[in-house]
Amino acid sequence: MNATGAFGLRVAESWTEIRENLGRSALQALGVMVGVASVLGGFSISDSHEARSDERWRKLGGMERLNVQPAAAIKDGTPSALQSANLGLRNLDADEGEEMNRKAVNATSVQKNARARVRSTYADQTRQISGIGGDFLPLNGYEIERGRLFSTSELEAGAPVCLLGAEAAAVFFPTGDAIGESVSVEDARVVVVGVLRELVFRWRDGDGNAFAWRNRLIAVPSTYVATRMQGDRYQRVDRVTFKIPDLTLMEGFANDLVAVLKANHRLQDDFRIDDIAARMRKRQSQGQVYNIVFLLSGVLSLIGGGMVNVNIQLASLKERVREIGVRMAIGASGREIFKSFLTEAMLLTMLGSLVGLLLGVLFSKAICSFLEIPALLRPSSFLLAFGVAAGFGVLFALYPAWKASRLSPMEALRYE
Amino acid sequence: MENVIVTRGLTKVFGANGNAVYALRGIELEVARGEFVALVGPSGSGKSTLMAIIGCLDSPSAGTYALDGEPVERLSGAALARIRNEKVGFVFQTYNLLPRATVSRNVELPMLYAGIGRKQRRTRALELLEKVGIPEKADRLPSELSGGQRQRVAIARALANSPALLLADEPTGALDSKTGAEVLGLFQQLNRQGHTVLLVTHDPKIAALASRRVELYDGLVLAPEPRAA
Ligand SMILES: Nc1ncnc2c1ncn2[C@@H]1O[C@H](COP(=O)(O)OP(=O)(O)OP(=O)(O)O)[C@@H](O)[C@H]1O
Ligand SMILES: [Mg+2]
Repeated sequence: MNATGAFGLRVAESWTEIRENLGRSALQALGVMVGVASVLGGFSISDSHEARSDERWRKLGGMERLNVQPAAAIKDGTPSALQSANLGLRNLDADEGEEMNRKAVNATSVQKNARARVRSTYADQTRQISGIGGDFLPLNGYEIERGRLFSTSELEAGAPVCLLGAEAAAVFFPTGDAIGESVSVEDARVVVVGVLRELVFRWRDGDGNAFAWRNRLIAVPSTYVATRMQGDRYQRVDRVTFKIPDLTLMEGFANDLVAVLKANHRLQDDFRIDDIAARMRKRQSQGQVYNIVFLLSGVLSLIGGGMVNVNIQLASLKERVREIGVRMAIGASGREIFKSFLTEAMLLTMLGSLVGLLLGVLFSKAICSFLEIPALLRPSSFLLAFGVAAGFGVLFALYPAWKASRLSPMEALRYE
Repeated sequence: MENVIVTRGLTKVFGANGNAVYALRGIELEVARGEFVALVGPSGSGKSTLMAIIGCLDSPSAGTYALDGEPVERLSGAALARIRNEKVGFVFQTYNLLPRATVSRNVELPMLYAGIGRKQRRTRALELLEKVGIPEKADRLPSELSGGQRQRVAIARALANSPALLLADEPTGALDSKTGAEVLGLFQQLNRQGHTVLLVTHDPKIAALASRRVELYDGLVLAPEPRAA
């Protein structure tokens, strides 16, 4: 038994056995193949969808942003003295929030909106004007295409300057460069200092631009809206946004922020903070639905593949046990038989898995291209698909060998 | 003359207490090297059971058995496999060839388990097929052969590792009389070449060709005849 001890020879022998029993071997490999393909395909499609979903969140900057907005402190009845004396959400809140946890917060912006009649030589529309401050542009994924940002002094002074989103620039200045031109906001002249790059996100090719509305931006310093347009000397704002890239810090930060703002606001609940937990749930549930669906289909097809495998093995069990009896009668030890069955099963599992992995990749590519999302294949999915299928394949193949190894050669030869 | 087979009080019981079947009830048997022994007896007398134990395919419930001078009762499964591989060549009534392996490969299998290399196996297999008279069938499948030819393959396989003992349980039972006679002739020829043969048969004519007849009845050796010198 020396020569067959060598692994290479053993594999060569197994290969001969496989060729001799082509039909049975093919069916056995088929079970593995179907299992691997469906597990890999399923997980890959799920991962791809989740990645696409994440990408949208990222582009939107949605996940990592925590918004604070003013809210009515009194739900009904007359406001108490304390309540009416409150000043609402202010620039100060943004500063203190940022100070509170510099590690977690990577950017802060404030926003104060107003609606106003906006006119240029080419257009005359009522539009939302966004008074912005802090890191509003990077926080919302905007980039300057031409021109420049607001300077610090312009932001502090509330200077009459503006930035136009791509759509706004096209509407108000369809023929030429807007930079240096001015628009009338209500009756004041505001100079265009910069034009923003167009933001585009499509779920699939051919879909509309999901970010179209964001290109309608007309931004001025928040101080301009507060002082020149609304005459608010307390510099109240409509929204404070903190960017917290490390999502694990989000919940803790939100809780701390509530405490700080409450203290700031004389213990009044005159602000509203995003519900982080709900948001996390929403994001996860979407991915999870797909994961469960595909995990289920993966498990089902594994079971299916396993059943096919078991049935094939059981159908040929009698024949196999007898064959083992013959082999034992002419001198194979139980050990020898076990080893050769194991090698054979591993070879078949490898072959089946390779084809299965290939099919799984194609399957995933096909479905993803149908959904028009880029296909994502994680190494962990490969390992999972391969591992599970290999386990099933080897387990079921070894059953007859185990069965026969408990019999004497004579019993195996007489096996019914 | 030294004995290839020596059994003492060999007993085989199938099943448990209630419905125990005593297939063998104390077999005393000696077979010397070079003998051609015919084992006869009515159906159910225990011939196949005895052959299986002598061929180390099954183990006795009680008694002792020495093959080629070596006691085998206490040997491990692996050691028994080795004995079946090297010392015993077994020929079955129903051939027991691997149906999807070629004739040559069927003959090569015992050599594979003996650890003999590919080339050497093939050469020896062709030699043996020549010896049993079907050299041209080496690369055929068993299903493409006649019954007599299949039994010749089985005999070639039994001879693969030059065993001390050739066992045949009704080797002509599934063959017509003409083919059966040919196969039997082959056993006689092998015996003349020095192989020890123990053969089960129902046919008195075949039994008459043997150098000695051992008759079983109900699990016992019925008429222990004096051995031919
Ligand atoms: N595996 C077994 N389990 C139970 N009983 C068995 C088994 N093998 C044989 N027997 C019984 O042992 C007895 C001897 O059987 P055996 O096959 O040795 O007879 P035989 O002489 O070979 O008969 P035949 O000429 O019909 O082949 C019979 O009664 C049979 O029923
Ligand atoms: Mg019998």
